Amino acid sequence: MSQARRGRVLDWLDERYGLRPLLDFLKHKEVPRGGHSLVWYYLGGTTLFFFTVQIFSGVLLLMYYQPGEATSYESIRYLTTKVPFGWLIRSVHCWSAHLMIVSLVAHMFSTLMLKAYRPPRELTWVSGFLLFAVALGFGFSGYLLPWNELAFFATSVGTDSVKGVPLIGQWLLEVMRGGQDVSINTLYRFFALHVVVLPLSAIAIIGLHLLFIQRQGMAPPMVHQRHATARQGLKFFPDFFLRDLLLWLLCLTALVTLVFLMPYGPRIPGIDWELGKKANPLAPAYPGIKPEWYFLWIYQLLKEFPPHLFGLEGPQVALALVTVLLLTWAVVPWLDRRAAREQPSPAFNDLGVAALLFIGFLTLKAWDIGGLRPGQAGLPDAAASARACAFIALGAGAAVTLLRFVLARHRWFVLSGAALLQVTLHGLAGVGYLAAGAISVALAAVAVAVLRRRTPREAAAP
Amino acid sequence: MTAPDRTEPPPPTRRGFIDWLIGLGFTGWFASVAYPVVRYLAPLSSSAGGAVRLSAEDLAKLDRGQFVIVRSGEARVIVLQVDGALRALDARCTHEGCTVQFVPGERVVWCACHNGRFDLEGRVLAGPPPRPLGKWIAAREADGGVVVTRGKA
Repeated sequence: MSQARRGRVLDWLDERYGLRPLLDFLKHKEVPRGGHSLVWYYLGGTTLFFFTVQIFSGVLLLMYYQPGEATSYESIRYLTTKVPFGWLIRSVHCWSAHLMIVSLVAHMFSTLMLKAYRPPRELTWVSGFLLFAVALGFGFSGYLLPWNELAFFATSVGTDSVKGVPLIGQWLLEVMRGGQDVSINTLYRFFALHVVVLPLSAIAIIGLHLLFIQRQGMAPPMVHQRHATARQGLKFFPDFFLRDLLLWLLCLTALVTLVFLMPYGPRIPGIDWELGKKANPLAPAYPGIKPEWYFLWIYQLLKEFPPHLFGLEGPQVALALVTVLLLTWAVVPWLDRRAAREQPSPAFNDLGVAALLFIGFLTLKAWDIGGLRPGQAGLPDAAASARACAFIALGAGAAVTLLRFVLARHRWFVLSGAALLQVTLHGLAGVGYLAAGAISVALAAVAVAVLRRRTPREAAAP
Repeated sequence: MTAPDRTEPPPPTRRGFIDWLIGLGFTGWFASVAYPVVRYLAPLSSSAGGAVRLSAEDLAKLDRGQFVIVRSGEARVIVLQVDGALRALDARCTHEGCTVQFVPGERVVWCACHNGRFDLEGRVLAGPPPRPLGKWIAAREADGGVVVTRGKA
């Protein structure tokens, strides 16, 4: 189209819909520069890219998938073995789901480290947290749809923990399952969630998330992180947008490479979508049943709790703890009062590292790393596994701490230190997981109180 | 509009009364929409499981020293035979609801999901399950068949 004709089309549209202000806005849209690396601004975009892949591949899967007792498993088997490129579409959907979670988590942690959630962007964080919850819901509901053995037991366990909710637990459990037990009725409900309710919610919340970002602009670096020679922002159109597109192309290449190299996943428990056997509610659970990798830490936490604690049932207390941790995570923008005043808030950087160490150790332990000997039958050795996982966590923790100390000049390590102390006490000194956690939390609380006393009061003044 | 007096509550007005009525109307309207949806989502309570007769195939498995799992209503029951005596227990682990299995070598009922262990009476031996497995009664009939019924709590 020639320049002149394009101008005429634009004029025609502008006369009717008033497009000029919108174009002007886009022309002036900028991405802040002059502080931390620009890399962190791309992660939301890559998450959105993988979500788009999910929508497209999901619609294609729907063309063959038939929910039903005699058809769910069979239609997926037909899809992967008979339909041309059926395996490809399913593999893309599975890989992209995992990559979307990875990208989302990386985006969330970079937001935490850069304090991009500080006022006035608190609700952007909250909407992002909701999207995180929706993504976990997608993973959980999609897992059941092939109606294979693994899916059946993982869903049995996953939904069972709901019964611990006070008052409405049993009712909620039956509403989720469509009955007392996981059955084909559960699959119908999860199917409706997975293909209608969650996509609509995700699109609505993504819209809100992007609207917030459009209204407020991307978060600039914090004052103390800005370079003395603050540069002009990067133009969104075309500079940032083209880089975004290039990165998406790279993501697509990575996705397709993974799909071709490992069509059924890397065969690690929790990242494996071999169809396996059809679900049989009357077959016993078999060893090695694991939920998807991003739920493994909760799975392991459920194992660490004793049958009874504080007069409640163990799983109930574990569920309450997870809820408290996640809710704390959701309200971080209001907890981090130093970042709200544009002051460095090292405690919240450390919180991020501590969370990764806490979740990482539980995930490693859920994989029984170091607890399984080749050729040895029977149950994994929990103590040996705890020791091996503790060494890995301590190694990773030491490396990260050193990097933070030297490169990022961090000097506040109370929470990550507590996480490592718990790992050491539990894995190397043989203290129970919960006792080690209680000791670490208590010591961290004392350390925070002492540090608060010793820092000059001006830090607390507005 | 004038600012309301802080010391005394404002006198009731016709406007306030109508607002209250409208609010009540909306609440009723919302409840009349929500109630059917909530009831619709809650599944019908299924009939309690009655006595179950084991199939010939199940009996053959028991005689080979294997365990069987049968359905009674919505419940799943594990039936096993140890030293000639029949035993039946709830097959749903009290921890997170996985289906348990019998490990003949160790004479324990074991849940693979979180490593819960129960003895042959359903009592917790080890692991995270908070309660024992429910008891069922497996009885041999005169014709050699086996019938499983819910035990007394």
